Amino acid sequence: MIASDREIRRYGEMMNATAFGDKPKEIVTSENLLYDAAERVGRIREGRQALHLHLSRLLPANREEAKIRIAFRMFETMADMFRGQLFLLTNSDIVLICKDARLADLDAIVYKLRALFSKDPLTYSESEDGEDRFVTFYDLESEYDPFFATCVQLLNDAKMRIAQARNAPQIQPLDARNLTKVLERIGVTDIASVVRRQPCLHFTEKQTAVVAFQEFYMSIMDLQKVLAPDVNILANRWLFQHLSQILDLRVLSVLQDAGFRKLPTAFSLNLNMASVETTMFRKFEAAIRGKAGLVVEFQLIDIFNNLDQFFRARDFLRSHGHKTVLDGMSPITLQFMDAERYDCDFVKLNWSGDMADDVVTSELHHALGPYGFDRVILARCDTEAAISWGLNQGIQHFQGRFLDSMVAAVTMAQCDKASACTLAQCNQRHGVISGHLRVECGNNDMLDLFPTLRALR
Amino acid sequence: MLGSPTAARARAASQEHLLLDYLNRLERHRTERRAVHIHLSGLAKHNQREQHLRIAAATFDNLVKMLQAQAFTMANADLMVVYKAQAQDEVESAIVKLRFLFSDDPLIIDDAQKGTLCTWYDLESEYDTLVALAQKMVAEEQARRRAEQEQAGIEARAQAKPKGAPFTPELLARVEAGLGQADLSNLMRRQAVCAIVGQAPPQPVFHELFISIADLRQTLMPNVNVNSSPWLFQQLTETLDRRVLSLLNKHDDRTLEGDISINLNVSTILSPEFMVFDDNVKAGMRGTIVLELQKVDIFADLGAYLFARDFAHDRGYRICVDGLTFSMLSFVDRERLGADLIKLIWDPALTEEKDVKTDALRRIGITRIILARCDTPSAIEYGHSVGITLFQGRHVEQMLMSDAKRRGLGRARPRG
Repeated sequence: MIASDREIRRYGEMMNATAFGDKPKEIVTSENLLYDAAERVGRIREGRQALHLHLSRLLPANREEAKIRIAFRMFETMADMFRGQLFLLTNSDIVLICKDARLADLDAIVYKLRALFSKDPLTYSESEDGEDRFVTFYDLESEYDPFFATCVQLLNDAKMRIAQARNAPQIQPLDARNLTKVLERIGVTDIASVVRRQPCLHFTEKQTAVVAFQEFYMSIMDLQKVLAPDVNILANRWLFQHLSQILDLRVLSVLQDAGFRKLPTAFSLNLNMASVETTMFRKFEAAIRGKAGLVVEFQLIDIFNNLDQFFRARDFLRSHGHKTVLDGMSPITLQFMDAERYDCDFVKLNWSGDMADDVVTSELHHALGPYGFDRVILARCDTEAAISWGLNQGIQHFQGRFLDSMVAAVTMAQCDKASACTLAQCNQRHGVISGHLRVECGNNDMLDLFPTLRALR
Repeated sequence: MLGSPTAARARAASQEHLLLDYLNRLERHRTERRAVHIHLSGLAKHNQREQHLRIAAATFDNLVKMLQAQAFTMANADLMVVYKAQAQDEVESAIVKLRFLFSDDPLIIDDAQKGTLCTWYDLESEYDTLVALAQKMVAEEQARRRAEQEQAGIEARAQAKPKGAPFTPELLARVEAGLGQADLSNLMRRQAVCAIVGQAPPQPVFHELFISIADLRQTLMPNVNVNSSPWLFQQLTETLDRRVLSLLNKHDDRTLEGDISINLNVSTILSPEFMVFDDNVKAGMRGTIVLELQKVDIFADLGAYLFARDFAHDRGYRICVDGLTFSMLSFVDRERLGADLIKLIWDPALTEEKDVKTDALRRIGITRIILARCDTPSAIEYGHSVGITLFQGRHVEQMLMSDAKRRGLGRARPRG
């Protein structure tokens, strides 16, 4: 008996519920159903076709459950006319098996789905052999074997994933009830241990790079481990935002007590705007006044919660000689806004590989041209390619792991205790402000120095 | 002389013929009469479905009932409205409503630039032109009918598918639990967004359905200042979204049939609850549904917004960015966001430095602006002075009420 589409879908949902529920049993996944269907089709291949949408290859942010749900929904509505069998797989792929469909009609549907994910490289970049990575069509009369092999592979992968999910620890999403418990635990958590730092380097015309400021932030992954191992604190955007307001105050307090051998030229902090108006902030500000500069980085979510408060915070900071950063920009966000309107001292652009694409590069020029690339910080530079792209655009400020290693290498070259350590150790120790990693370094003076980098280009 | 009985009946039913007949009868009553030819045939095909045209024609129902106008729907979907000059404002406000109904259509988008939607006629001076046009329409309609009869049966057209204590997480948890039991239908309010042109009474374009937060607070958490934590409040709105959707899903009072707007979070649009809502809406005879979004929610995750927007547009929903003040407008770019409408909060300060502000409003698209929280007549006056035609607020509600009284209806009709 052939299960209807609706039944298949229900099986898919059952699987999800059970895979993460209490008592795992033998589970019928949509991969099982696809396998069965593929087997049956093997006997009646005439006029049969299959279409495989590789949504599992999307970037993680685009593969969120909600987005896949919408994609499947749109696909389902359009694919209705083919009277085929539709499968939403547990890895987010979609497979359609149908009969005598016009390729042009199938193409039209795929086109719409592609448009939905048009910002994802999957939909516009081909693989090295020129194949479309987004979709595979099979004419089952002639291509049944490769299709069946794919179904077998999908089934095996699903089994493996379920087995892994069984062994994974139970994690609840953040909600109002467990947020209360998480907040209570902040008091007994060593926040200093999850504070990380990363330098922002200013490339000068003399072919040197000096540290413009050190950014201090919390490693959310590590925070999660020490604060709430059983709760996914990022699962709810609004509640996380509430949590971050309280964490801001702890970070400000931790930084005042940190035993820096040499204070950073400037501190850069990710703060909620509301935190700028607190006594804790004023105390911190008083503590570093005349000794170090201060840069505050703001997020769009916070700015748009209260634009007037943002202007107030920005102007307050400016009148006290501090600087501000519009944080978290990407080609997508810049499509919707004129960065110069926010009138911050810097705009932070997160590097991603697609920015090297000519079209994206020119869009970024259009978006950031009026603001000026000399005030852009290119962040998340993991590779040399990111730095060269940035330098070509006239960017002077850079941040990222690639530079972290360079800083560590230059530090080691000047450190008299360097023979005892590896580059990886030095790199790690630069990233923290307390704990055993810092203690293990034999030369904390050197660790806080952040020397100038020479002859970079 | 006469054709076959069938042909005669067909002719009798043709609106083109009725228009020509009507114009012939007006030959000696041309003064103070005007006509407007609304070129709905220029709409995109998906906007020319029967239900769209029915709604379009119904826009003029009131005028017809009040004997101020006659409306004719042509076979090619065009509307021809012949009306008394005194009803000019009402006719224009009905056209504002039409523009809204089809606001995403290229025809309407072009209209803002080139005025492609309407051709106006003054019968006193252009009677003959209009009669010639009507004759041409009759001839074309007959030719089309013949062609259609030949085609009949060959092609079936694709079926149109259709201040107090601070707000804490503990309190939030309690309220969310309470919401599970509370009967929200008591807290559900509706307010009309109206087209107001000239001195004509307001014409409801759609009704906003919303939960009264003040009443909710009073019921579930008196003495709590929900504004003390914007983020917890934002979370509360997500919970409310789901409750409102389930309420609407349960409703059997045909709420979903009219033109409505609801306030939602982006994440709600992507949720399974919304899929159920979408199914219900599709199953019923849906009018226009506007989804109102908050700027903080849009900018919190622009990627998710894009996704939700494309999905919503694909399903025929309109997107409105809610609650903007003038100073926010340069930060929230309607066009780049691809939103259909924005709600601008009325503020008497709008009348200061008016020229600069008016330019800014024009750039947004004056027909895309709903002037909201209009509590006084001065809001409407201001709106009219800059060309805004869509209004919402307490004063608008009062205008609706007094208009209903004047027309002898006991109370405002539940929907427009």
